[in-house]
Amino acid sequence: MTVITRGPMQRPVYFAYGADIEEAIGLLSAAIQAAPLVAEAYDQRWLAIQLLEGDQSLREKVSLYPDAQPVVDALAVSRGRLQQLYGDDVDVALVDHRYEFVHRLVREAVVQTRGRYVSKSDKIDRIVTHPVFGIPIFLALMWVVFKVTIDLSAPFLDWIAGVLDGPITNWTVALLSVVGLGGSWVESLAVDGVIAGVGGVLVFVPVMAALYLVLAVLEDCGYLARAAMVMDRVMRKVGLQGKSFLPMVVGFGCSVPAIYATRTLESQRDRVLTGLLVPFMSCSARLPVYVLFAAIFFPQYASLAIFAMYLLGIAIAMIVGLLLNHTLFKSDEPSFFVMELPPYRLPMVRNVWRQMWNRTSSFLHNAWTIILVVSIVLWFLLAIPVRGATSSFADVPVDDSLFGALSSAIAPAFAPLGFGSWQASGSLLTGFVAKEVVIATMAQVYQVDLPAEAATPPTTFSEDIGFIATSFVQATVDTVKSIPLMIGINLFETEDAAKPTTLMQTVRVDFDQTSGGHGALAGLAFMVFVLLYTPCMVAVVAVKHELGTKWMWVSVLGQLAIAWLVAFIIFQGGKLLLG
Amino acid sequence: MLWKVLHAVEEANAPLDLNELSRRLDVDRSVLDGMIQFWVRKGRLADDATVAGQAAVVCATHGCRGSCPGPQGCPFTMKMPRMISVSSPAPD
Repeated sequence: MTVITRGPMQRPVYFAYGADIEEAIGLLSAAIQAAPLVAEAYDQRWLAIQLLEGDQSLREKVSLYPDAQPVVDALAVSRGRLQQLYGDDVDVALVDHRYEFVHRLVREAVVQTRGRYVSKSDKIDRIVTHPVFGIPIFLALMWVVFKVTIDLSAPFLDWIAGVLDGPITNWTVALLSVVGLGGSWVESLAVDGVIAGVGGVLVFVPVMAALYLVLAVLEDCGYLARAAMVMDRVMRKVGLQGKSFLPMVVGFGCSVPAIYATRTLESQRDRVLTGLLVPFMSCSARLPVYVLFAAIFFPQYASLAIFAMYLLGIAIAMIVGLLLNHTLFKSDEPSFFVMELPPYRLPMVRNVWRQMWNRTSSFLHNAWTIILVVSIVLWFLLAIPVRGATSSFADVPVDDSLFGALSSAIAPAFAPLGFGSWQASGSLLTGFVAKEVVIATMAQVYQVDLPAEAATPPTTFSEDIGFIATSFVQATVDTVKSIPLMIGINLFETEDAAKPTTLMQTVRVDFDQTSGGHGALAGLAFMVFVLLYTPCMVAVVAVKHELGTKWMWVSVLGQLAIAWLVAFIIFQGGKLLLG
Repeated sequence: MLWKVLHAVEEANAPLDLNELSRRLDVDRSVLDGMIQFWVRKGRLADDATVAGQAAVVCATHGCRGSCPGPQGCPFTMKMPRMISVSSPAPD
């Protein structure tokens, strides 16, 4: 706490530079005084100081006066003398004297009533940004983020899936029947294309909203900024500074702004290296893939599996960075930085809500633009026959469709990774556009040829509305129940685990077949491939924009190669270990 | 005093918080800010505050191209903390 006490005025305070500078000022002031036109226009001492500090615009103005030549000559002499003492830093010497003076004045006038003030934020930072404890705390917080994200959102995920499969599909079919399109290819496009594709992604909106909520809380309370300090030591191992970790933190949300954030880095080397590593950070668009595959193959350890993906992304980025630092990007140890850490505070509901809403709405926007377009294009590709004499448009076995043929062509490349079916390969192919599309594609290609499920009795409009409302209330209740479970407290009776959906079952069967019975390993390899290959087309454009075409190709091809290699090691290595 | 600030940044062996630097040099925080801005003007230190702001703006207007959801800008933006570092000797 600093208190300024008011005492009697003892003496007026004069400020003087050191003897050498005062001598130079005196010499120049005398020359100014001898030039009446200049002296009339400016205060002599002020002008002398400004000219000695090197104010070029003022020097040009003064030189326009007819009697200014002696002033200019005196300036050259005075500055020359000072340059002998201070080199090129004459201005620094002058400014430094002023700061010294102000500092001395403050020391004399300000009374510190307490010792050195240490704020609550400083006390928290002593632990949170501690060189040893900082990293475990960071990892623990990340674990909490994903635990809360998955557990809070799960009931609403089931709710949206129920609403899309039930009322929305029913209403669409009924509406098309009214206009005479029932049973036509338009109905197939709407139900199997748009609702299955876009709906398959919309199901994950609660997951994204929960992730954005928790990240917004961490951001608003001031913790995320500390991540750069905490990770500085790790980043130095790969020849970067902690500052480079901030674009990576942004990369957990979306790779595109993260790549643009690399322009905050000073050197081109750091920008390129960080830009190449940022796409390995698991962006939020990949989360739906993890959630689906974790639910299929690791239902008991879903949070752990998803958390492992995020850690693996960081680890691969560090390993790649280490390799690049010792090969293409050799450099001296980067310098350290000073950071303005915001004080810790309780997150403001309005800020958190705004951040969450902005990010979730942009995810929804993607669903209605990119994913809708891709879903429609994909449906047409699935409807166009390229094989089979009896096939016709919209009446073709998916294997014989154009998309089936295209995907089958690349499928052998993924066979050593355990997921060599054309459906899985095709999902990765469309995933180049955006990672949300992976799920949209799976929802279409795995469900197109499914036998019709047991017929459910038709429902009325009011029954559908009732279902939406009651299932929403149930989802809310289930979410509230899940809160104590997150910390291991079970206040409620154990319920049966959620039933796997048809999509989950077919994916499981497909992966079991293509992997020779090692479906879980193939599923894990698929998750890793999704984690490590190109995030999306927009990210590729961002890399080209920021780093150039050469680095864009290095980034795309490098990520593909690394994704394939790591997935291969996981699948084949896992097979060897499991026997 | 100005030199002390510059040397403190140049010779730091770990990232520093501005408040911590202020305490370490026994200089009031507002005075320290002024001295840092002086070195930024001289080109000896780089202050990220404005560059970070630009990154978000660029992302919102050009970077995302067709996928930008309108005035809200990027799918995911984050306010970057202000960072001060030693300027590179020569631009690349």
